[in-house]
Amino acid sequence: MRDILKIFYILSTLIISVPAYAAIDGTQLLVQIDRNLNPESYEMYRKLINVEPDGRKKEYTLFTVKKGLDKVAAVFLAPASEKGRSTLRLGENMWLYIPNVGKPIRITSLQSVIGGIFNNADILSLDYSAEYDVEKVDEKGSEFLLYLKAKNKTVAYDRLKMWVDKNKKLPTKIECLTEAGMLIKTLYFKDHKDFGGGLVRPSVIETDSPLYKGYKSIMLFAKIKRKIFKDEAFTMTFMPNIDSLRR
Amino acid sequence: MKKLSVLLNLLILLTTLAYGEDQYKFDLSETEKKPYHFGGYVEFKPIIFWPNTNAAQYKLNYYKRDPGGNTEEYDAKLQLEGSYEKEAARLYFKTNTDYKNSYFGESQRSTFYEGYLSLKPSASLKVDAGKRTFKWGKGYAWNPVAFIDRPKDPNDPELALEGYIVVSADYIKSFEGPLKTISFTPVLFPVYDHINDSFGQSGYPNFAGKLYFLFYDTDIDLIIFTGGSKTTRYGLDFSRNMTTNLEVHGEFAYIRDYQKNFIDSNGNSYLSEYNARSYLLGIRYLTAIYTTYILEYYHNAPGFTQGEMKNYDSFINTGYQSYLSTGNDTQLQKAANLTTYQMPNPMSNYLYLRVSQQEPFDILYFTPAITGIWNVDDKSMTISPEVLYTRFTNWELRLKATFLIGVTYSEFGEKQNDYRLEFRVGHYF
Repeated sequence: MRDILKIFYILSTLIISVPAYAAIDGTQLLVQIDRNLNPESYEMYRKLINVEPDGRKKEYTLFTVKKGLDKVAAVFLAPASEKGRSTLRLGENMWLYIPNVGKPIRITSLQSVIGGIFNNADILSLDYSAEYDVEKVDEKGSEFLLYLKAKNKTVAYDRLKMWVDKNKKLPTKIECLTEAGMLIKTLYFKDHKDFGGGLVRPSVIETDSPLYKGYKSIMLFAKIKRKIFKDEAFTMTFMPNIDSLRR
Repeated sequence: MKKLSVLLNLLILLTTLAYGEDQYKFDLSETEKKPYHFGGYVEFKPIIFWPNTNAAQYKLNYYKRDPGGNTEEYDAKLQLEGSYEKEAARLYFKTNTDYKNSYFGESQRSTFYEGYLSLKPSASLKVDAGKRTFKWGKGYAWNPVAFIDRPKDPNDPELALEGYIVVSADYIKSFEGPLKTISFTPVLFPVYDHINDSFGQSGYPNFAGKLYFLFYDTDIDLIIFTGGSKTTRYGLDFSRNMTTNLEVHGEFAYIRDYQKNFIDSNGNSYLSEYNARSYLLGIRYLTAIYTTYILEYYHNAPGFTQGEMKNYDSFINTGYQSYLSTGNDTQLQKAANLTTYQMPNPMSNYLYLRVSQQEPFDILYFTPAITGIWNVDDKSMTISPEVLYTRFTNWELRLKATFLIGVTYSEFGEKQNDYRLEFRVGHYF
């Protein structure tokens, strides 16, 4: 009788534990990934490096602020040719402010204000869960593979394939695809780092693209801090003053 | 030989490792904020002109001279800017020095483009006092609602402009829902002797204002200028992204009691007063292969009609004939003083198209473009192909040619040059 109970216990444990991943809530997982990558509202510094096939580089330094689901703004700190340029995203609206031009102009998510593989949507990225629905979650060894579909046509990439570390709930690789399934670029998440405040996440995103053979772009992260700014800081009128949010 | 090969491989490996380490370096000192900033831009621009010796503008500018063919010009520009920030206050300046060495000799002009003090007690409120620009309007090539800015050159719309001395404020309020933002920008715009006196009639403390809404994902501005230095004028503009790759924009300006001075072919002056309604409609479209199209139509109500422009050119031609036969240049001097005829795009209806291709053939930082400005009334045009290369950090290289095409008595057919070729080297520091 005791053996029967033991077998029943083992079987029931197996039955309960096996579908634990199969029944995983993809939407909840994606929200968790977002929170593991960034606080919902934050400030941070980034360096973007465009690397050419011969190893030559061009670097840009940005200060970025984000609030809630749909507000993000960034200002270029270096190089001198880009200093003071700022970009703002308010939901589906995007603007670029160039000090010489002296007024914000509307831009689109697929354009690139810096050239290279990163486009405006990469620089002003919102939470993945704000822009994508989870269509399917597969298990691939120590990783989940999430199939994401854009919530609407204004999102830069129609589909994403996201490989996620099961334990850390952090992406390791993302493929960005068109509606027809054509690969636009691949993002590789590397070098986990403790940013303080309980945030441990990749500090490097490396990107390559079949559209730019031999080129790659790298995004380095620093000083990611939870911080809540006033809504007025995320307006077109405020764009020339985004640098004043730095302390 | 084998040792040399091993040594070489080791050297390559070390270089690769060193490069790999350096590749991901983010020096945190780059993120530290300093209270002051100093930077600038220096530019050198040689230009070759191929003159149109039959054109009215050539006769007006060269009647006493004979350059004997192509002319060259060497332009240089230096802009310095700096700021100092302490708590809610910020002091900012930007200077501009233009140097020109042309067939007419050397000239140089230095001025403060901007210089003002900002007080920003909160993210919602900012007050500025000093010399600054506003750049109101959504158009790329023209801005009929830019009532308190100097006119920009549609051939180079992104050039920095000189400001005016003002006191202004920005008040911003954000909301949830279809109306996301409202901001109000009131401007006190004094025009007195030595203060903004090139703007209009002296002796008036003018007022301008802009009310901005982000409403249903559309930028909308309502603009007013009133005072005594110029007649009262009202403006409206809008801009909206229709899709991820298509933006539409427009401007409408209503100028009350606009006074237009013009001449007939004998040089007799006339004054016409009317309420001028100018407007601009435009789109910006990005294709799947990253080609950007900017298309704008501009109706410039204060502009000259085809007949008025023809009269001006005829007046120059008869003045030139008179000078050749009598040596008397009074008529030509009068024509030279009518500067409104010589402004960029002084006529009534224009079409602007710019097509630029971002990084073709996988060449990073390389942007070829072609720009056309059509005078819809007289069918004359300029076509400007250009290539821009920004591969080298803080350097900008641009080669641009401009072809001016038009028949006799058309705007671009009567310009002093047939073609021009310029090379611009700019460095930011």
